[in-house]
Amino acid sequence: MHVPKRSRGGLVPLGHSGTRRRLAGSLAALATAAGVLSACGSGGTTTLVWYINPDSGGQAAIAKTCSTSQYTITTQTLPQDANQLRVQLARRLEAHDSGIDLMSIDPPYTAEFANGGLLAPIPQAEQATLKQQSFKGAADAATWNGQLVVYPFWSNTQVLWYRKSFVQKAGLDMNQPVTWAQIIKAASDNGGTVAVQANKYEGYVVWINALVSGAGGSLVQDASAGVDAKVTINSQAGEDAAQVIEDLAHSKAAPPDLSIAQEGQAGSAFGAANGAFMVNWTYIWHNYDTTQPDVAKDIGYTMYPETVQGQPARPPYGGIGIGVSSYSKHIADAQQAAACLVAPKQQAAQAAITGNMPASPAGYQDPAIQKLFPADLIKLFEDSVNAAAPRTVTPYWSDISGAIQSTWHPPTSVSSSTPSASATFIHDVLTGKKLL
Amino acid sequence: MRQKTGVGTWIGFVVILVWCLLPVAWIVSLSFKSLAETTTGSPHFLPQDFTWDNYKVLLGMTSDKSTSHDFLASLRNSFGISIVATILAVMIATLAAYAIARLEFRGKRLVLSLALAIAMFPVVSLVGPLFDMWRTFHLFNTWPGLIIPYMTFTLPLAIWTLSAFFREIPWEMEQAAQVDGATSWQAFRKVIVPLAAPGVFTAAILTFFFAWNEFVLALSLTSTTTTRTVPAQMSFFVGPDPFNPPYVQLATASVIVTIPVIVIVLLFQRRIVAGLTSGAVKG
Amino acid sequence: MTATTIPRDQTKAAPAAASDRSVAENRLGQKLVAPALILMVLVTAYPMLQALYLSLFRYRLTTPDDKAFVGLGNYGVILTDSLFWKDTLNTVLIMLITVAVELVIGFAFAMVMHRIIFARGVMRTAILIPYGIITVVSAFAWQFTFSINNGWVNGTFGWLPGISSTTNWYGDHWHAMFAIMVSEIWKTTPFMALLLLAGLSQISEDMLEAAKVDGATAAQRLFKVIIPNMRAAIMVAVLFRALDAFRIFDNIFIMTKGAQNTESSSFLTYRQAIEQFQLGMGSALSVLLFLTVLLLAYLIVKLFRVDLAQARGE
Repeated sequence: MHVPKRSRGGLVPLGHSGTRRRLAGSLAALATAAGVLSACGSGGTTTLVWYINPDSGGQAAIAKTCSTSQYTITTQTLPQDANQLRVQLARRLEAHDSGIDLMSIDPPYTAEFANGGLLAPIPQAEQATLKQQSFKGAADAATWNGQLVVYPFWSNTQVLWYRKSFVQKAGLDMNQPVTWAQIIKAASDNGGTVAVQANKYEGYVVWINALVSGAGGSLVQDASAGVDAKVTINSQAGEDAAQVIEDLAHSKAAPPDLSIAQEGQAGSAFGAANGAFMVNWTYIWHNYDTTQPDVAKDIGYTMYPETVQGQPARPPYGGIGIGVSSYSKHIADAQQAAACLVAPKQQAAQAAITGNMPASPAGYQDPAIQKLFPADLIKLFEDSVNAAAPRTVTPYWSDISGAIQSTWHPPTSVSSSTPSASATFIHDVLTGKKLL
Repeated sequence: MRQKTGVGTWIGFVVILVWCLLPVAWIVSLSFKSLAETTTGSPHFLPQDFTWDNYKVLLGMTSDKSTSHDFLASLRNSFGISIVATILAVMIATLAAYAIARLEFRGKRLVLSLALAIAMFPVVSLVGPLFDMWRTFHLFNTWPGLIIPYMTFTLPLAIWTLSAFFREIPWEMEQAAQVDGATSWQAFRKVIVPLAAPGVFTAAILTFFFAWNEFVLALSLTSTTTTRTVPAQMSFFVGPDPFNPPYVQLATASVIVTIPVIVIVLLFQRRIVAGLTSGAVKG
Repeated sequence: MTATTIPRDQTKAAPAAASDRSVAENRLGQKLVAPALILMVLVTAYPMLQALYLSLFRYRLTTPDDKAFVGLGNYGVILTDSLFWKDTLNTVLIMLITVAVELVIGFAFAMVMHRIIFARGVMRTAILIPYGIITVVSAFAWQFTFSINNGWVNGTFGWLPGISSTTNWYGDHWHAMFAIMVSEIWKTTPFMALLLLAGLSQISEDMLEAAKVDGATAAQRLFKVIIPNMRAAIMVAVLFRALDAFRIFDNIFIMTKGAQNTESSSFLTYRQAIEQFQLGMGSALSVLLFLTVLLLAYLIVKLFRVDLAQARGE
């Protein structure tokens, strides 16, 4: 409420005429009065501002629940795109902006924020509680230099969604683990599509990371070495991953919008008449309930596909951790608030609204979750989170990810030489020899 | 012969109308489609089931207040910032244009070369340094942080347009006033200002268009809804489904922000054309 | 513009009285331009100098301790980088193609507007809408137009070879470039048309009548009379639009985000400075971009011998 007033007050120096100066003066007085009011108004409560990634109201709801007589938590929405979200937050924090108390951070950027000193350290006792409460994958993704730096809030993972009617037609046994090669072949032989995320954005790297990890490899190792981290995408696993992408991109099973597909486009492709397979996050289960109820009834699910036959898949890991800004004026309050927000009960409460799954086994046990998904799907989610391969935790993730996007996009350009080309490029970008 | 030309002109007329209005008609049509329709894919030009829902959501007439809150805030910012920038830029430009059209003084060449350089300036190349400066001066993410560069970048156009208009003014009247004992300043204020008003108005419209349109700076020098203008806010639009861009709401927002443009164009088309062309080619 | 500085009616006051007046005039003139001058220097010249300084450093906002003087190192990296040249080539291509197409369409529009005797107001309003509309809005409109699931292009032009209901306009370089250029051309042709119309209206009807009497065909009249007489107007229009097109950013940001190698020079600079916090490298790119635009302006002015003063009919 006070903020627009403040900005109008900010125009003061530009005023020229006497009346204007008087007007500006009174505006400034108003703004000051409002500021004073906000500081000590309504019985001395503090306002904590929580910058959230966009969702359908889950975070706003628990912000209300976790507000106390001591402080009120309000939310501000960040951009949807993971990288844009990072840019917005980092830009404000680098400006030492005290207007951010709490923020929802995507796991791959946690390290960058922590390394830059933008996150207030979490008290050791609280760290122990959080580590104990959270899934191991969630805790790992929130850890930098041996310290838990954000509060694991919700964890996301992908499973393989399929149209029951299609696999029946194709005669594919979905009770066995399937490989990418199998589903691509089944789809192209039977006039179906395999929907993935392959636009030039973070989601494409999520896919690539899952493919490489599924073949037993990794993108980068020794991340704590920073710029000198070892780039390991140039490996047999990298080539196996490239093979899958190349196969799909050149197959009839590729949706026409493959190279621009994000989660939403993949969802549309899967819902189309020739939709067959899709890898996507947990939220998709309820995606078709109102718009395409017949599709909703036709959805089946199983473990993420294997990159290499016989080697267990490593599904993507996503989610959100809550960070407390080190430039906040109310760090202690914000830490208390964060602890409340990530309590399993609140994790489940927001999941019931958004479909974004809790980051803790206890959250999964909550009745709200049990009502939301069938029991075997919840089990699948839990198995997937436990098997998931988080993206490398490194302060240079945005460079690494950007370099991979540049070299692996569009999917039709991927070949067996792509992994080595991207390894060279990542190295050049990290050492400042090439522009990204 | 004459009739043939007439037919050609008629066809040309229709072609121009279609060219100019088709994309506008398209976003208007999109804004009446339902979110569900575009989620499942709707390659039709016209909506299959016509709905006012998007307008209701954006204007805050539903229970979902977050979209409308952010959008209306950006609309306020856009109006406020554009209007303040326009008024200040035109005031400053009027003074400068008068001096350039009428007076001999040292440094005129400097002003003109600088204005020309700024008219050609790639705004993006200022984004980095300005971001850094604004952080130091605490102007990052404030209204003045946008108003100041907007004024600067519209000054050349405003000075240009205004000095072209000022040359058309019968200056004998000013000289007559000066003979009658008025100082240069009085002659300027009492005689020239009223005559120059139409030119000033035209410059104001063009300046407003620029500020209303500007994207790069709005995107880079703001970070919250207290300052973000509509063009920047539109690239942050999020629908009810966090992974699917809300096409129809974007289209609706597009229609809403285009309404002021159309109103201005309808009311002042003659002036805008005069202003645009007077600067470049004297007609 | 520089050449237009001298007022047409140089003051005719008697030399004796002039000196006092001219001192006052000098002072008043300087006072009147001072605010504009200060603002312009403060907001452009100063940051540009700062950019020049920062461009000599390795300086990333997220790792401030790592700041180090690298001399012209950033420029070296940029000028030997394939991405920089790819983006420059894209930008030049967009500039050349859009300006050429706009010139042709804009000229046709100007001819129609010049001849039309009815509904001039309607026409003027229509043509000003693309000009006035927010570029971001226009980019969205065209993005949706070419969208594979929600656009009308594939359905409407499906009968053309190479277009089907599954044509992905953002799926490869040339299709995406085409979509971006269409949006740019749509938005800016009206401006071109209006400038050309102004030039067209300066051609005297008598001259055209005389040519007709002499038996010149319509084509001859167009190429021998109309275009040569509009040369100045055409050149000014080209200069303005070329410099404008070279700075293309908004459409690309909205339509492709630079994917499919559709990035422009402006976009590259923005990403380095703002998204990657590379203040040093971003500054170097800013300086290069500015120099390129200056060079471009110089080339156009020299190449076409545009005399701005003459163009303004002074």
